[in-house]
Amino acid sequence: MGINGSVERRTVLKVAGASLATAGLAATTGCGGGSGGSGDGTVEIRFAWWGAEERAKRINQSIKLFEKKYPKIKVKTDFQDYVAFWEKFQTQAAGGNPPDVFQNAVAFLRKYDKRSVLLDLKSQVDAGNLDLKNFRAGVEKVGEVDGKLLGVPVGSNTMSLVIDEKVFKAAGVTAEQGWTWDQYFAALKKIHDTQKVAGDTGYFGIMYLYDLYLRQNGKAFFTEDGLGFEESDLTEWWQDGYNRVKAGIVTDPKKVEQLKPKSALASGDGASEFTWDNFTVRYATEGDSSYGLAPIPTTDGKETGQYLGSLMLSGFARTKHPKEVAQFISFMVHDPEVGKIMGYDRGLLSTTEQFDAYKPTDAPNQAIAKYEADVAEAGLLGTITPHPAGADTVEAAFLRVASDMSTGKTKVSDAVKQFFSEAKTALAT
Amino acid sequence: MGTAVTTLIKDSPPDAPERRPGRPIAVKRRGRRENLAGYLFMSPWIAGFLLLTAGPMAASLYFAFTDYNLFDSPKWIGFDNFTRMLDDPRWQKSVEVTAKYVVIGTPLKLLLALGVALLLAQSRRGQAFYRAAFYAPSLIGASVSIGFVWRALFSDDAAVDRTQSFLGFDVGGWVGNPDWVLYSLVALTVWQFGAPMVIFLAGLKQVPKELYEAAEVDGAGPFKRFWSITLPMISPVLFFNVLLETIHSFQIFGSAYVVSNATCGPADSTLVYTCYLYQKGFKEAQMGFASAMAWMLLLAVALVTVVLFWSQKRWVHYEEASR
Repeated sequence: MGINGSVERRTVLKVAGASLATAGLAATTGCGGGSGGSGDGTVEIRFAWWGAEERAKRINQSIKLFEKKYPKIKVKTDFQDYVAFWEKFQTQAAGGNPPDVFQNAVAFLRKYDKRSVLLDLKSQVDAGNLDLKNFRAGVEKVGEVDGKLLGVPVGSNTMSLVIDEKVFKAAGVTAEQGWTWDQYFAALKKIHDTQKVAGDTGYFGIMYLYDLYLRQNGKAFFTEDGLGFEESDLTEWWQDGYNRVKAGIVTDPKKVEQLKPKSALASGDGASEFTWDNFTVRYATEGDSSYGLAPIPTTDGKETGQYLGSLMLSGFARTKHPKEVAQFISFMVHDPEVGKIMGYDRGLLSTTEQFDAYKPTDAPNQAIAKYEADVAEAGLLGTITPHPAGADTVEAAFLRVASDMSTGKTKVSDAVKQFFSEAKTALAT
Repeated sequence: MGTAVTTLIKDSPPDAPERRPGRPIAVKRRGRRENLAGYLFMSPWIAGFLLLTAGPMAASLYFAFTDYNLFDSPKWIGFDNFTRMLDDPRWQKSVEVTAKYVVIGTPLKLLLALGVALLLAQSRRGQAFYRAAFYAPSLIGASVSIGFVWRALFSDDAAVDRTQSFLGFDVGGWVGNPDWVLYSLVALTVWQFGAPMVIFLAGLKQVPKELYEAAEVDGAGPFKRFWSITLPMISPVLFFNVLLETIHSFQIFGSAYVVSNATCGPADSTLVYTCYLYQKGFKEAQMGFASAMAWMLLLAVALVTVVLFWSQKRWVHYEEASR
């Protein structure tokens, strides 16, 4: 049997090898045509983003408008979910073949700038291909790093607290502008005691929230090249978090994992959850309570530490068509029609043309618009610290180690040590 | 099986009968042409092997000794990746998780495969249907979609969770519970016992009926017959299955990746070796470290294979030992 078996196996392997080789050859020839031009002066640019089907529909619709206005530019698109997007992007970028234009976020600016992947759009602004006027609340600053313009914001968002309004009301708790962390945690306890449901779904693992807490206390999560806090800071933050999980005030992290991709807030296993304000649309579709946006708790009754974060569009440094890339970005952030199509899918629209063109008619989007207006009006907005290279890995580690810690798999002190050691490695590479 | 091998040898032509002095040149030329044609037909495979297997392997061996982030050129650092690996708590965790998976999953899968093969070896109505039905999961086994199905089955408030609650022990979904989720992966591999089962079936068919008849005459019961006849007679097949399934188990990736929603979690509970390797290489861009990990895996699998081959002298019986 051994002999016959292996002979057959070898044949199978050969066939597999041959087909792989053919596929490989086909792929090589396929790659060549990527971003070239054709005889009639038409150029093709590749645009990639992360997001779900819904965003894809809106973006494709916007691109149709763009191609109508610029008939000589064809846009080829590609999208994945967040994690898969960056995995693919990293491989493409390493191979010198990333898309010409792509969605980007603050955590990746320095990382890819350091590796000369990002196009400095300043020259295109000077050449008049990219319009930097009419951005709301100085949000265009988010894409500026070390004197370069590495991304243009398509929308802006800020951290918020989403609450289950029915549960909060039943417990007799109100969330007010300027409330303190002590008041917030007291509210969670009251909710737990009276409504028999955890008050929060796991605040201690959210890097961007911890950043706000640190900013309220005169520190920050990141400096330009490292971490802006000490092991003792994190030990305190996580020890308190762990105690609150044990006490049932915060949702059992196992439950949170089990519910994914649904959120524990939407499933009724928690009464509040910190997240980006533009994510809140999902709760209304996922859950059957009513959800509202509440202010971030503070240390001094005033400063929330908030800033406007943003999704951006960036270009590839060695794109063959920098002009067309700039024209595309400019169109996508300024055209009022595009604003109407995109809505608040990627946060509040970043330019006044688009912001004024889109008037939300549904309650969740109206709430988001009002929330950001309130935050801006309260004069609380600071500016974001551009993240150092490796920030994305640090964020993933923060989330994971916090989860280990909260399930009791790792002692708090060990978890803190592990996080610092992983962060150090990530920020060094 | 033994007969097939001998016929093959008997029927094959004697070695190089035509190579005599004074062989016409035309024949020689034709031989060369045939060789050329042979290589030509093989060339897609050879190219594939060199480009997609041998080349990358050599590159990966080099990268294993470098610090390489995909963007800057690799820096030679000697054995640093390997020493760093041994100090890394997550690497240790990945070894532990993989070992647990192999040690629990492989024997269970083989036991089930053998058990079902024993049942299906007897002729009964609908035999073909049962064989196909039990083999089917192995066919779709490698696909990502089955990972999603598994995730759906074992998540909170899904089929498995509801059955458990109905039976009175409520642990919630297995996916997301660090103490349970690995067992859902074990269940997945055990469920795909079809391939070893088919091989067992083939092995069982080869056991001569006379042996059973003789044993029966001597008054041996079913268990005794299984233990003293079936098991020794199929031990080569068993060895083959143990070897193949063990190696296969070490390489688990797809199911862990999909079921954990690309996190290999929660709390690193499904952080199998290849999943950590993948994270290091493609998420954290530490290709040097990832390459070093890959070579460690190769060494480990080689070591296990050597141990298994060494051990077979003690428990594997070849029928034609007299050859």
